[in-house]
Amino acid sequence: MGITALQNGVKVLGFRAYLFRRAVSALLVLFVIISFNFAVFRLMPGDPSSLIIDPRFTPEAIALLRQQFGLDDPPFVQYVKYIKNLVTFDLGQSFTSRRPVIDELKERLPNTITLFLTSFTFTALLGIAVGVFAAARRGSFAETLVTGAGLFTYAVPTFFFQLLLLLLFGYYVPIFPIHGTISAPPPEGTWAQLLDRLHHLVLPAGSNVIIGFGSWALYTRNAMLEALSQDYIITARAKGLSERAVLYHHALRSVLPPIVTLVFLSLPGLVTGAVITETIFSWHGVGRYLVDAVLQQDYPAAQGAFYLIAIAVIVSNFLADLVYGLVDPRIRVAGENA
Amino acid sequence: MAFFEVKELTMYYRTLRGQVKAVDGVSFAIEKGKALGIAGESGCGKSSMATTLLRLLPNNGQIMGGQVLMDGQSLLDMPEEQFRRRIRWKRISMIFQGAMNALNPVHRVGHQIMEAILTHEDVSPTEARRRAEDLLNMVGINPKRFDDFPHEFSGGMKQRVVIAMALACNPDLVIADEPTTALDVIVQAQVLKAIDDLRQRLGLSMIMITHDLSVIAQMCDDVAIMYAGRIVEHGSAVDVYSQPLHPYTAGLVRAFPNIAAGRSTIRSIPGSPPNLIDPPTGCRFHPRCPLADGRCRAEEPAFQVVAGRHAVACHKADVLAGGVDIWQQRQLA
Repeated sequence: MGITALQNGVKVLGFRAYLFRRAVSALLVLFVIISFNFAVFRLMPGDPSSLIIDPRFTPEAIALLRQQFGLDDPPFVQYVKYIKNLVTFDLGQSFTSRRPVIDELKERLPNTITLFLTSFTFTALLGIAVGVFAAARRGSFAETLVTGAGLFTYAVPTFFFQLLLLLLFGYYVPIFPIHGTISAPPPEGTWAQLLDRLHHLVLPAGSNVIIGFGSWALYTRNAMLEALSQDYIITARAKGLSERAVLYHHALRSVLPPIVTLVFLSLPGLVTGAVITETIFSWHGVGRYLVDAVLQQDYPAAQGAFYLIAIAVIVSNFLADLVYGLVDPRIRVAGENA
Repeated sequence: MAFFEVKELTMYYRTLRGQVKAVDGVSFAIEKGKALGIAGESGCGKSSMATTLLRLLPNNGQIMGGQVLMDGQSLLDMPEEQFRRRIRWKRISMIFQGAMNALNPVHRVGHQIMEAILTHEDVSPTEARRRAEDLLNMVGINPKRFDDFPHEFSGGMKQRVVIAMALACNPDLVIADEPTTALDVIVQAQVLKAIDDLRQRLGLSMIMITHDLSVIAQMCDDVAIMYAGRIVEHGSAVDVYSQPLHPYTAGLVRAFPNIAAGRSTIRSIPGSPPNLIDPPTGCRFHPRCPLADGRCRAEEPAFQVVAGRHAVACHKADVLAGGVDIWQQRQLA
């Protein structure tokens, strides 16, 4: 298989070559980000040692500690060590809890991923479904209603809406817990625990879905309307296909590549959105960990959480490229035939 | 009775600035196995008429009146679902401008042909695939390319796929809407030849919509000239080209170079087509016509048969019948 093929005058990459290039560029971006982080933390005013070293220590003790922490090494050596630590996920010790940062992150990551995947899946599904619905009923009252609702929820500030939900369904009509990931103490039995976790998940995930689906719905609606005005839709109708087949098999199928790409490109935004959601619902996750770490000036913890988020962003970008290649034949098949 | 008949078909588009009278009282008939060419400038309503026949109008397109009869059966009154299942593609199919965007870019070309067969006929997917491969073969495309995507084809090949697709359900009537626009001349000739061969072999009736009079001369038995939503002249291609009776037709014929004749300047018709929201009174061509007089401005000419099948809607048809080159005179004047 060749690397490139000339088709319709457009140079298209073979799929494997395309993936390889994307992977390399993803790693490169990660490298640039962590290098940047290294520089930023060292350009900041103040000496990191002042945070853990008591000024009342003797100069000898300070010198010893500085040496132990490697702060006397030339910048290049520090940099190599730093990179080595990140690559091996040795993220240091939290100043506040005195535990390894990686252990604390590991403990919280599953909670974040659960919240994240639930919100993400339901947001995308609901948004796309509503968008298709609106496009199919263009000009109807139902369309105005759903696009209006989408715009409204999109415009509402996340924290405000979430606090409102908490007040409504946690306090006035207390059907959902107002904080946490699981009740304390947790109920007995696996199923009871699972149900309890789900019960805690409803408000945070639900609020994310309500706030997030609007932009999906509007994007899908616009893409669908654009697709529905294409010549191939007239062809499909002329062929006598049912309106359903025209809508799903021709219009939706052809707007899927950009939508799926956008879905994956929105992943990083959701990661950062998790910070607010987790803080408001006291969710035991990475986002709240980051907020706490910053507030307590816990640099290793904050740096670790940032590193994790950077990785999440880069991985989701890479996934977007991968999926785009899979759903758009103009990228995929060109490679197979090259 | 003709196999396919259109009577006084009228279709308007509703717009914010008023009704666009895109198709206004159009009538014609096609015998089985014959080809009718419909010619006219861009915006004269010829493509709108094609979409009206298949009832594929956009939401603002409204059929105001008239009849479309196929074997005596009225197609405009038929319930939508029945029309979709029994008429679209099954009996009337369409050859679109394939070089552009008529094929869905995300589906394999073979599947797009199969889809038409599977929608209308109760056959297994294997059988449909075999037939689709035969169709590709018939239009001169290697069936091995069944699983390719449209972007892997050249413009001419896409047009061939579109032709194969139009023949998928053995229709009785094929409407070809500018099938060779956007193709280069060589490919255009190949595609036209393919259409013509297949049409003769399968005994299809055809409506060929184009702005290219030479295409009609080559492919069609009859020709109808459309201007501003109306048919202004209709007759056998030979009659209309050799003895145009409408000033507009005469101008169109003159606007095409004749390869057999000596060197001459190509002359265009001055002016541009009218706004169809508020078309000119009387004869719609009068603002551009060198022969126009008071009667032409006030009174709409009736469509009358002159000789045999040759019919025209013009008050001055006898002037042209006398063999006067009205456009030549205008140039000199």
